[in-house]
Amino acid sequence: MPKVARLHAILWGVFSTGGFIAALLLPILIYLVGIAYPLGLWPVSSGDPTSAILNHHHIGTLFLFVTVAGSLYHGIYRFQSTLTELGLAPAKRALEASGYLIIIIGILAVAYYLLLLNPGVLSLP
Amino acid sequence: MIREWTSFFVAVFSLIYIYELSLFASGAKDSALALMRNPGIIAFNIVALLFTVYHALTWFYLIGKVIPIKMGKTTSKPWQALLVNIVLLLTISYAVIQILVLR
Repeated sequence: MPKVARLHAILWGVFSTGGFIAALLLPILIYLVGIAYPLGLWPVSSGDPTSAILNHHHIGTLFLFVTVAGSLYHGIYRFQSTLTELGLAPAKRALEASGYLIIIIGILAVAYYLLLLNPGVLSLP
Repeated sequence: MIREWTSFFVAVFSLIYIYELSLFASGAKDSALALMRNPGIIAFNIVALLFTVYHALTWFYLIGKVIPIKMGKTTSKPWQALLVNIVLLLTISYAVIQILVLR
């Protein structure tokens, strides 16, 4: 398999995994932090859900990283290819480059902030 | 085309949440929580949740269509994959609430 085709297959595989993550994990995160907390709905009666999730050091941090990083990859990857289908095909290279830039910076940022919030997360449970 | 636009809400919510994590990490927790209580953000999150659930349901159906599973002489139907994955989605969501929020 040519190198470019192999890279494309890998990126598509990660995109597909991100699709599953966005489908299985993102809805509950959006509900908890974006709807239940500000509107005071079950199960968030007191305190904010982000702090509650981060209190479970390893599993909570892993959940947030996988959900946000996977969803970001899937969302940006699909959205930039949607823009090319909508008539921005001449700018395909620029869209791809900016898309991957946002993905890389975003994933590094999530990892960095989660490490700042839970410095001991890299140690074994 | 609606399916494609779900990716916009998935990406924007992720970016907003990364910004919230950055506020948490810099010690500006009150600002992070105030951001989530902003009516505009709440409205966006409600729409994002609807689009994300739509993404989930169509994704599960698509997976069943693209990768059917052979069981003896029969092959699984897309609606069966949809059903199994909906049960999985509800189970995982319940587990997240029980383990990470309520415990």
